[in-house]
Amino acid sequence: MAATRAGPRAREIFTSLEYGPVPESHACALAWLDTQDRCLGHYVNGKWLKPEHRNSVPCQDPITGENLASCLQAQAEDVAAAVEAARMAFKGWSAHPGVVRAQHLTRLAEVIQKHQRLLWTLESLVTGRAVREVRDGDVQLAQQLLHYHAIQASTQEEALAGWEPMGVIGLILPPTFSFLEMMWRICPALAVGCTVVALVPPASPAPLLLAQLAGELGPFPGILNVLSGPASLVPILASQPGIRKVAFCGAPEEGRALRRSLAGECAELGLALGTESLLLLTDTADVDSAVEGVVDAAWSDRGPGGLRLLIQESVWDEAMRRLQERMGRLRSGRGLDGAVDMGARGAAACDLVQRFVREAQSQGAQAGDVPSERPFYPPTLVSNLPPASPCAQVEVPWPVVVASPFRTAKEALLVANGTPRGGSASVWSERLGQALELGYGLQVGTVWINAHGLRDPSVPTGGCKESGCSWHGGPDGLYEYLRPSGTPARLSCLSKNLNYDTFGLAVPSTLPAGPEIGPSPAPPYGLFVGGRFQAPGARSSRPIRDSSGNLHGYVAEGGAKDIRGAVEAAHQAFPGWAGQSPGARAALLWALAAALERRKSTLASRLERQGAELKAAEAEVELSARRLRAWGARVQAQGHTLQVAGLRGPVLRLREPLGVLAVVCPDEWPLLAFVSLLAPALAYGNTVVMVPSAACPLLALEVCQDMATVFPAGLANVVTGDRDHLTRCLALHQDVQAMWYFGSAQGSQFVEWASAGNLKPVWASRGCPRAWDQEAEGAGPELGLRVARTKALWLPMGD
Amino acid sequence: MSAHNRGTELDLSWISKIQVNHPAVLRRAEQIQARRTVKKEWQAAWLLKAVTFIDLTTLSGDDTSSNIQRLCYKAKYPIREDLLKALNMHDKGITTAAVCVYPARVCDAVKALKAAGCNIPVASAGQTHLKTRLEEIRLAVEDGATEIDVVINRSLVLTGQWEALYDEIRQFRKACGEAHLKTILATGELGTLTNVYKASMIAMMAGSDFIKTSTGKETVNATFPVAIVMLRAIRDFFWKTGNKIGFKPAGGIRSAKDSLAWLSLVKEELGDEWLKPELFRIGASTLLSDIERQIYHHVTGRYAAYHDLPMS
Repeated sequence: MAATRAGPRAREIFTSLEYGPVPESHACALAWLDTQDRCLGHYVNGKWLKPEHRNSVPCQDPITGENLASCLQAQAEDVAAAVEAARMAFKGWSAHPGVVRAQHLTRLAEVIQKHQRLLWTLESLVTGRAVREVRDGDVQLAQQLLHYHAIQASTQEEALAGWEPMGVIGLILPPTFSFLEMMWRICPALAVGCTVVALVPPASPAPLLLAQLAGELGPFPGILNVLSGPASLVPILASQPGIRKVAFCGAPEEGRALRRSLAGECAELGLALGTESLLLLTDTADVDSAVEGVVDAAWSDRGPGGLRLLIQESVWDEAMRRLQERMGRLRSGRGLDGAVDMGARGAAACDLVQRFVREAQSQGAQAGDVPSERPFYPPTLVSNLPPASPCAQVEVPWPVVVASPFRTAKEALLVANGTPRGGSASVWSERLGQALELGYGLQVGTVWINAHGLRDPSVPTGGCKESGCSWHGGPDGLYEYLRPSGTPARLSCLSKNLNYDTFGLAVPSTLPAGPEIGPSPAPPYGLFVGGRFQAPGARSSRPIRDSSGNLHGYVAEGGAKDIRGAVEAAHQAFPGWAGQSPGARAALLWALAAALERRKSTLASRLERQGAELKAAEAEVELSARRLRAWGARVQAQGHTLQVAGLRGPVLRLREPLGVLAVVCPDEWPLLAFVSLLAPALAYGNTVVMVPSAACPLLALEVCQDMATVFPAGLANVVTGDRDHLTRCLALHQDVQAMWYFGSAQGSQFVEWASAGNLKPVWASRGCPRAWDQEAEGAGPELGLRVARTKALWLPMGD
Repeated sequence: MSAHNRGTELDLSWISKIQVNHPAVLRRAEQIQARRTVKKEWQAAWLLKAVTFIDLTTLSGDDTSSNIQRLCYKAKYPIREDLLKALNMHDKGITTAAVCVYPARVCDAVKALKAAGCNIPVASAGQTHLKTRLEEIRLAVEDGATEIDVVINRSLVLTGQWEALYDEIRQFRKACGEAHLKTILATGELGTLTNVYKASMIAMMAGSDFIKTSTGKETVNATFPVAIVMLRAIRDFFWKTGNKIGFKPAGGIRSAKDSLAWLSLVKEELGDEWLKPELFRIGASTLLSDIERQIYHHVTGRYAAYHDLPMS
């Protein structure tokens, strides 16, 4: 018998049956850092970039505090170099057929597979997250993402015909994140032909390693460039002229600030903000499984943030008892230990949660003791937090669960939807009908039924409301980096001297402009609000002239009060309209189309007075009627079912209405543009507040006469008046869910700036005219994409 | 041995509202295996502990007194003495928890165990008409069995006759007398996890000292999802009555690694109080030799040859 290797402790362990350390060797991570001489730079254009005279930040093991490496901080010129490299790479990369890109992505997936141990130990070592989650979750999903998007790339020419890649994407990641967040965004961007410059916070080596793996694959070195630098570089990267889109994920306030600073700039902005999730536990749920859902959401290093937990009152005691029992068995420890549930997340995260818990306690909540031991923070359950207290309004930080009771499913929806956040939620109920009702009713991007935190490359993930409306994964993730082919490149419309405080604030006074002359019957007068024509609050009117300069008629001068009334009316009509079946909505649109055709001669003669040829005028009326019918038909084929590997059961990709949509119509095409915007908005179940063409609002008012008889009150509200003033009122309105603006560059800039208030998605034309009579621009898929929001509803199957 | 579970009155409200979500339990079962492991000394100590939970089983048609005798000896001396010495565990009296044989072989086993100089209890299993089963139990107890494993009538569960099931197990309880009753639920044949929960609860109310997953002879044996549901039922019963009921998975647990996963499953779902032979058993036949091989490797750093370890 060989020499004995056993130590002396077996006796003790035999009695106590405690867990021991299960250390994962991180020798290969250290060896990789050694290849960089423990000094990490940036990875640009397939090469390491280590400029001289840069500040450096230490990269530390969050548990031992040991210095692992120093990381150079990028400066503005490094950013410029990276963007230039990506811009050069874009020319070649986007010109290749999708199949070539698909092969490249597949090769990257294979390289990750070969070096996965290095990737997971490095990630876990530096971030402190539990290695099990990185190894079994993130690294596998990263490969699946690459494979899924390789397939999308290979079919791009057929499946995404009519779309082209945007260009260079600037990706900005928050201070604590998993490299997976980067993969979710770079995979679709690279697949469709974009190239990426990613700005990662200092001391995050895993993205650099990924960039190196991608860069060393060969022919396309500059497609993925990674810089590490401080948050102060964000505006510098975002305003680089080469950047076509900025994808930002991080804290809501930073996203808001970026939205304001990017108003009028060249780059588009996609925001993914906040980390909080929600869990709804009803009294028909399998409570033990729901408790596991809470663990998945907040206490397993899987989700990034905290959890708001709503428990039905009748199972409150039972659920709380089980939660506390389960909490007691969770293990915190070094991330590289194979048997811990929660790792450490660094001092900043600990400070944040400590502050939150102390404040919650001072506001009356129960939360147990606040531990002072660092660097770990134990799972924390907060209850009895008064609903009106400040802590109940702010985002719940990791690893806190805030539990509050509800009485009925209806109340649960009110409470759950009563926050500005709209990220993800899960519903726990064994009654199918109830689960579906809650799932459909929640205003969030992702709903899991009887599960929490499932992910798959083919399922779009995103949010609504102030969680930002950008998407990753699935078809929606691809469209984030595409634009309709042939449209002119988005240019900067930044006007430095635009004063946001005064834009559209005052309405120039209007005076009587002489008697109305002309053969036509007197045009309708008033603001069309709540289904009828109403007098404007200001009790004044503005003259409308025809093409020869004569007075055509007077329209009402709408103001802030009228906008308020119109938005209210639209909100009142919204639940009923959104609840209608697409078929019923289509029927009403068809009825309106028929009414327009009956009114054809009046409409054509009004268009004629605005300078159109009779033939062209009649064609415009006919095309408008066709648009109404076409959208009515199209909306019936929306949404579809996805199949996900490993999940028995479907994932529904729903297309839900946005809510109240504000539309400021262009001056040109006074009838066609109005109808082309109205039709998709209504077809998808939105209600609208519209500002018609400033030059000739009379045509829109003519249509209103028909809408008054065909539509239920409040579906479409039309407010005439000073365009800038009405735009200001709508853009600053917090309860308008989305806004489309077709008008001046300055107006566009203002709308983009003002949308930061409730982070409503905006679509601004920036002064570029659109060919409304062309199918692509007047009724193309771009409208269909912007007019509704996606929701992914996971329905696991099984008894 | 602890005192018997005297059971409670049948209270159907304890099971009427229960719904177990199958996919969620499957996910939990997957996770629990990935989230807890033990290495090195911890592994050796846990494995030795696992040995003390084993109901060393032989349920073959060709059982005779000679192989029963060999089995009983192995139950008394499950790990080679020198290996235990190397771990400084030779004086801990490590034996398996019990020997599990057919009723007809109870006499042989009792004799063999007496010869081996120990008092490991003996158990038996049955699967026939209720009257025969009750008679079988009485005979086995008379022959000296101290623990009785008996399988329930699955059709009562599948047709929802909970009162009848309760009465049946009550009769088992009575027939067992002083012996411990381990009720086999044959979970592979109950259809749903919700039924597993309900049957577990009824069995405990009727006075079972243990609930056991399966006879080991069905197509579906002890699985993690089923175990999670049964353990949750045990915890709920404990919360309601203060009685701790034992748990016994059986069938398909062959490797040392499996046994560690079962230990951590019980530790996670019920806690350390359940990790003792009075409340946790593993029904297995080949598991013991794999554990012995792992201990051999831990002590010597080498993998054992077949002939290095005594057969059971």
